[in-house]
This record gives sequence, C-alpha cells and structure tokens, in this order.
Amino acid sequence: MTALTGLAALTFALTVTAQPSGTGEARGQELYDKHCSECHGSSGQGDGPAAQLLLPRPRDFTAGKYKVRSTETGSLPTDDDLLRAVRQGLQGTSMPAWDKLLSDQDIRTVVAYLKTMSRRFGSEAPQPVQIAPKVTEQPGNVGRGAAVYEKLQCGKCHGADGRGTGAAATSFEDDWRQPLRATDLTAPWTFRGGTAPVDVFMRFRTGMSGTPMPSFKEAATDTEMWDLAHYVLSLGRKPAWEMSADELARFYASQEAEAKADPVARGKYLVDTVGCALCHTPADQSRRALPGLYLAGGVRVRIDPFGDYPTGNLTSDKDTGLGTWTDEEIKRVVTRGTLRDGTRLLPFPMDWPSFSTLKDDDLNAIVAYLRTVPPVKNRVPRPSRTFLPFYLWGKFKMLILGADPPITFYAGNVGSAGAGR
Amino acid sequence: MKRFLKWAAGLILLIAVCAFLAFLYFIPPFFTTPPEEFSKAVREAAPPVTDITDPAERLLAERGRYIVVGTGCIGCHAQNGPQGPDYSKYLAGGGLKITSARGTIVSRNLTPDKETGLGLRSDDEVKRVLRSGVFPDGHIVSYTAMPWANFSNWTEEDRHAVLVYLRRLKPVRHAIPDPISTPAPVGPDIIERDYGSKDYGK
Repeated sequence: MTALTGLAALTFALTVTAQPSGTGEARGQELYDKHCSECHGSSGQGDGPAAQLLLPRPRDFTAGKYKVRSTETGSLPTDDDLLRAVRQGLQGTSMPAWDKLLSDQDIRTVVAYLKTMSRRFGSEAPQPVQIAPKVTEQPGNVGRGAAVYEKLQCGKCHGADGRGTGAAATSFEDDWRQPLRATDLTAPWTFRGGTAPVDVFMRFRTGMSGTPMPSFKEAATDTEMWDLAHYVLSLGRKPAWEMSADELARFYASQEAEAKADPVARGKYLVDTVGCALCHTPADQSRRALPGLYLAGGVRVRIDPFGDYPTGNLTSDKDTGLGTWTDEEIKRVVTRGTLRDGTRLLPFPMDWPSFSTLKDDDLNAIVAYLRTVPPVKNRVPRPSRTFLPFYLWGKFKMLILGADPPITFYAGNVGSAGAGR
Repeated sequence: MKRFLKWAAGLILLIAVCAFLAFLYFIPPFFTTPPEEFSKAVREAAPPVTDITDPAERLLAERGRYIVVGTGCIGCHAQNGPQGPDYSKYLAGGGLKITSARGTIVSRNLTPDKETGLGLRSDDEVKRVLRSGVFPDGHIVSYTAMPWANFSNWTEEDRHAVLVYLRRLKPVRHAIPDPISTPAPVGPDIIERDYGSKDYGK
C-alpha cells in the first residue's frame, strides 16, 4: 500500500514537473497570461482590461464561436485556423501576428490551452469544408460577381459601393451584444481573414459565426461565390501609403467632406482615438471599466500638491453631465482648460493645450458626438484645491527641495452612481 | 532711530516672507498664464513638415503631425529640462515615469535616433505597439499608461501617417531605462502613479 502510494506520488510529481517543460497546460497558461489576457481576459471571456476600448472586441474563447474558419457555419475552427490567426494576426483588429514574437512550439501550446476554455473542443472534431476548385480571376467573373453582390443583397450592410454608403445599417451587435461595424469592402487591408481570393471566398462559404455575416452556401453556388470574391476584391482602393500626392490630396479632401456631412461619426473617431474614455470612464483595480459608466467621469485624479480633480461626466445627462452645457462651454474646457464656472484646470493630465490644436470642425464634431453619448446620472464632486498651508508646503518641497510630486489615478468612481449600474 | 530701523527690518522681512509665499503660490504660473500660451507652445514645438521634398510623403507627414499634436503625444513623451519640458528635443521621451502594480515604465524616445529611439524599430514594430500595445519582446504595455487601445481605433492609414511623421523628427540621443516589472509600492486602490517633473532618461 505504502509502495503504491509512493509510486502514485512519484508519478504525480513527474507529471507536475514535466508540465512546465514546454508544451503542457501550465506552460500554455503562463503564455496566455503573459500575452493574451490583457485583451481576452484571464478566463478567456474576451473581457480583459483593454477589451472595452477595442473595436472589434477580442474573441470570447469560452463560447467556441469563431469568425474566421475553414469549417461549416456554426462549427468550431480547425487547429490550423486557430494557428493561422495567432501566427498571422487578424487584419483590421488589435490581434497582432505572433509568429515573429513566439516560437512555433509556444504558439501551438497556447492554442492548445485556449481550446481548453470551451468544452465544445472536447466533443467536436471540426473538418474543413470541401470546396470546388479555385476560380482564378478572368474576364467576366468580376461582372458576374457584381450580379451576385446584388442577388445576395450584400449592399444592405456593406452599401452599394462596398463602403457602407447608403446601407440600411452599418453598425451592428454581435452575439455578445458588443458593437460591430460592417466591413468597408474597399479597404481589403482590414479584411479579418485575409486578402487572398480564397480567404474572401471562405467568408461567404462559411460565414462569420457570432456576427450578422451569414454563410451563403445555400443561397449561392461555389462558382458564384468565387465570382463574388473577385468582385469584392475589385472594389479595393489604393491605400493612402501607395497614393500619389494628387490622390492623397483628393482622398483627404473627400474625408473632410464626409466628416462635415457626418460630424457625429467624425467626433466618435476623435473621442475614441484621442482617448477621452481613458480618464473619463471609471475602472476597477484590475483596470476593467465599471459597467454602465462609459464617459460618465468620476475618476479621482490627485495632482500633488495642487489638489483633487475628479474627471467630469461627459455624457449627455442634463443634470450631472454636459446636457445643459452650450457648445462653447464644452469647447472652452477642451481648448482652454476652463470650466463653466471659470475654474481653471492645470495643463495636465487633461491635455487641453494639445486638444486646442484641433481644427474647429473637429472640435465641433467632438461636441456633436458627446451630445449623442447616452446620459448617465453620475454627479461628480467639483475640483478641490489642497488646503492652503499644505499646498504651500507641497510647493516648497517641489520648488526648493526638489521633490517629485506624483499624479495619482484612483480606481473606482467618486461620483454619485458608485460602482455603476 | 533704532526703533525705526527695527520696524523697517521687520517690515522688509514681512514683505520678503509674503513674496516668498506668493512665489510658492503662483509659480509655476499654471493658473495665471493665458491658456493660449500653453496651446501656442505645444503647437510650435512640433517640427513642421515643409522640408520634406516628396509631395506625397509631405502630405502623409502633415496628417501625421496633426494627429500627433492633437492627440498630445508630447504630454508624456517630452524630455524634461531644468525648466520643465524641453520642446527643442521633441518627443525624446523620459519626461514621465509611471509606477503601478504592474511595474515601472518611463515614456520612450520616439525620435528616429538609431541607438536610443525608434530608429531601432521597424515600421511593423512601431505600428504593432500603436495597434496592439505589444513590444518586440512580446510584453504588453498597460493601456492605461500608453493608450494603445485608443490608438488601435486609428484607421491603418492614419496610423501610417503618424509613423511617417515620427520618422521625420530630429533624432535625439536619449536613452530610456527598460521597463521594470517588479510591482511598485502604490496603494491598493490606485491604478497608477505618474511622476513628471524630472528627466527619467539616462
């Protein structure tokens, strides 16, 4: 009995010590925690700290639903599908190509690990679809593809021109109720699954699970889908980095005209990229955004030795947000760091000196977008300066003794909405 | 006479103390300088693109400059001198040290210097940081410190324009210490603590 227990213990010890050697689950988890969890979350639900700001959102590995597959709609991807996504990354998303960063063995190990996050992988054996031989581009198939584009009503989401112009809707939600945009078919460098004709064909053939993009295998023949692939690729325009000066000038002018026509979209782009949400959406200690408080302010920012400057509520709420602020009042904070009541902000960390360099059209677009941000009632305390003697003592330390006072960003919400809805 | 001198000395001392307190109160003159002067400083700090001879490259760089300036890269990537940010060393970094439970990092040198700046990095490597926060050694920088998650929303074309502009900056030799992953002693309810009054470069 003792010998048996000893043997069992020895076997156990061997298994345990064998695991971190390179390919086991422990190594997979180590790699995952280091390289993947910031976006995909520690339990693989696609809810890592950075996820809230990314569009498209990172994959939820627990659901077993994958967009880019070589398998029938609704099926799991093959190992090769997953390996390819990790090695080459996904264009038009934050998923980078890991083949230059991790060894192939590590990539295989981490793929094996993320498969353990969905039970489906234990019970299903995904098979790649069998497809008719590739149809190369030839005279006529782009024209025929255009007819297929019409027949399958691709324009309902992607627009008649492939850019989404005139589409019934271009903003959607995926199965996780996260925002999603119809792909701009004129920018092939953003195609998630790749830009080769077979990549585009496969998206029609197998659909993109979890999104409104269906499989067209019942609605169209393989030949039709090949034609469509060639047609979609023919819509591709030149990217800015290949344009001549004249083309660039026209391109930027058309972008400017579009921004004027749809300032809310332009404003959203600016707010998303400048990063207002970084300080104006409260987060918990793990840096995850508190639910229901998007742009609702309430982040306590302590600027030593000046005082506490909780971030403002930028939502359209009439009572506690920007709802009753005039356009000029909003722009005055953004460009001059001066609040409605005349209180002046420091030139950091709210970077109004930089924002003041934005063109007036862009500032107006930001205001137009902020007006559309759903109202959240979150009354944020006013800035409070440090008690005068402490302030002077802090300044003395800073200016005379050479102290290095920090700016501190706190977790949680100091506004009236607490930890969110 | 003696009494008068005593009074005078007292008065001078009082004035000196008041002047010193006023100095502490108002310097640096963040609240008394007109806002336009801060704006002017950051606008003029960014080198113009007029010396670029290729017209397409100039247009891209101009777009990149607009984004770099309007987004406020200089807010973190300035090099501090004795009197605050030294804008003549544009985007040479080292002006901000961020400490958190994830470690300590210093804002990096974005100039094209071949040994200490982005001259070390390929276009793909720079774009990967701007899109995914992933550095060439595979580590991911927190999106709260370097807002890559926001910058990931740039179109690929705007991201390229940013890179074109960064590649055209004046190279400044300014080494930045490597990130330290040992957790810094910040409080449990603190996301990060930023220090910004010294040069944290080498």
